[in-house]
Amino acid sequence: MTIRNQMNESGADVRLHGVARSWGATTALSGISLHVRAGSFCVLLGPSGCGKTTCLRIVAGLEQASAGVVEIGGRDVTALPPAQRGVAMVFQSYALFPHLTVAENIMFGLKARSVPKPDRLRRLDRAVEILGIGHLLARRPGQLSGGQQQRVALGRAIVAEAPVCLMDEPLSNLDAQLRAEMRREILALQRRLGITMLYVTHDQTEAMGMADQVVLLRDGRVEQDAPPADMYSRPATSFAASFIGTPPMNLLKLSHEGMVPGTGGPVLGPPRAAATLAGIRPEALRLSDHGIPAEVTHAEYLGADTVMVCSVGAEGRLLARLPGRVAIADGALVHFDFGPADLHLFDAATGHRIPQPA
Amino acid sequence: MSGRAIGLQPARIRAIGMAPIGTRWLEIVGAWMLGLIWVLPLLYAVWTAFHPAAYATRFDLFAPLTLHNIQLAWEAAPFARYFLNTTILVTLILVAQFVLCTPAAFAFARMEFPGRDFVFAIVLLQLMVMPDVLLVGNYRTMVHLGLVDTILAIALPYLGSAFGIFLLRQTFRMVPQELDDAARLEGCSLLGRLWRVYVPLAKPTYIAYGLVSVSYHWNNFLWPLVITNSVTTRPLTVGLSIFASTDQGIDWSIITAATLMTSGPLLIAFLLFQRQFVQSFMRAGIR
Repeated sequence: MTIRNQMNESGADVRLHGVARSWGATTALSGISLHVRAGSFCVLLGPSGCGKTTCLRIVAGLEQASAGVVEIGGRDVTALPPAQRGVAMVFQSYALFPHLTVAENIMFGLKARSVPKPDRLRRLDRAVEILGIGHLLARRPGQLSGGQQQRVALGRAIVAEAPVCLMDEPLSNLDAQLRAEMRREILALQRRLGITMLYVTHDQTEAMGMADQVVLLRDGRVEQDAPPADMYSRPATSFAASFIGTPPMNLLKLSHEGMVPGTGGPVLGPPRAAATLAGIRPEALRLSDHGIPAEVTHAEYLGADTVMVCSVGAEGRLLARLPGRVAIADGALVHFDFGPADLHLFDAATGHRIPQPA
Repeated sequence: MSGRAIGLQPARIRAIGMAPIGTRWLEIVGAWMLGLIWVLPLLYAVWTAFHPAAYATRFDLFAPLTLHNIQLAWEAAPFARYFLNTTILVTLILVAQFVLCTPAAFAFARMEFPGRDFVFAIVLLQLMVMPDVLLVGNYRTMVHLGLVDTILAIALPYLGSAFGIFLLRQTFRMVPQELDDAARLEGCSLLGRLWRVYVPLAKPTYIAYGLVSVSYHWNNFLWPLVITNSVTTRPLTVGLSIFASTDQGIDWSIITAATLMTSGPLLIAFLLFQRQFVQSFMRAGIR
């Protein structure tokens, strides 16, 4: 069949056209359209409840879309059951079968699809070699650590040899150190196998670090669909601006004259009738003798840099991420300067980016 | 484990107040009394069965032991046949209950269909009907089916079990949805998921339910008594009661020997599975 031919280790395109999902009055997804190129790593990013997991489950076929079309590898798979879509999936809880050994868990799907035994063992050997879990094969999931369980779940996805791999917050149950390690491992795996990856997370550092393409979702809509660098440097909305970055972008409400209320300047944006937000990344700010006046309320020394929490004008709050250790007493008055390219303006009502004259 | 439990007790008693010390003793004495009363007939049966008839109502520590009573009882009635009948009966019921309850429980636990909760409520209602109430009605049905005096007739009213459906439904509902999803994604059909995921994960429930079912039907008496009239269909319980009635005369030694003989396998099974029996039943039943 056609699926077999596509499974030879190269990814497949994934396209969503106007996919919507609602239960009665509640709408989880409204008209999602996106295109994931074959062999690329796409992260669906968003806060909890934004519909990213629903979106993934619709691609997997575990849930039916109320409207719209899902295409994988150029085929319309909207009406196909999950097993015929050519996708593998790693679940948040890993979904390992507790009554089966690691080897049986990895080969579960192959057995269910009655893949011949020599082929089964060949695929198992390959996955085991890639993941380095040879010593665990006879154990049961209950006897494994979180990281080991994660590897077994990856193994099950690898042996499926599906062109598309779906992952639903696969790292959220691991501690911080292991998470960073597995992040690198998953990325290396995706590059090595050349599969298309659709990866759901609420952690923007995961998205920035792994993705070729980040799809930011909010309330069931695509907020922005861009490569991570673009999303960072040119956020399309104030929500995207405040979701990406550690700490996220500062958003200051501007007065009609284009200044932060309660300060005497500088003028950040052009005078507008509608309310405007000015966005500046904390790492774009530098101490200076002119610029935005601010009062230091608290400084957090993090080793490589210092995050300074300041108040600006009447009610503004500004975070600045300054390199190294900066010793400034709380309550001190400082000025922050920044490059003209680092200023982003958003409409306060709609959240949309306001195009600036170059 | 026990050290910790003992260490905990003074604190617990202090926390509750002074009264529990008296209550505790009352509880311990009460439990022992109940246990003794329960085990007394069994002890008497053991005593009588293994001693000559002369000692049936006389206690003498040095009375001679004998297996003669067991031999007499075994020869006095076709117990071998009764054993066979009972074994066929409980096996038939157990297999049919597993086969019938599993898909029903799965449907109630994981499938969406209109009227599901209503139908389930009706199934639950069956739990409140005492089987003995249906004696006459069931007998009439068996007459219509032409099954009177067959082993199938003894089993038939019990093959679909509301209790089994309820128990398995509760267990299936506790299986994580993600396991079901994973199996679905790996290409398992509906029955494949049931067989490869749900049934293996419900093993403790199957064991607990199986033990309850076997012991219930091994001991069941009234319905088999009504529906059977020949040696080839009678289960042990009915055979024993006929044997123990007047056609033998009242020889307690032989009657107790026969009783021990018939309940022996069940007793041994219970002792073997005791922990699993209590544990898995607690786990499966009280949720």
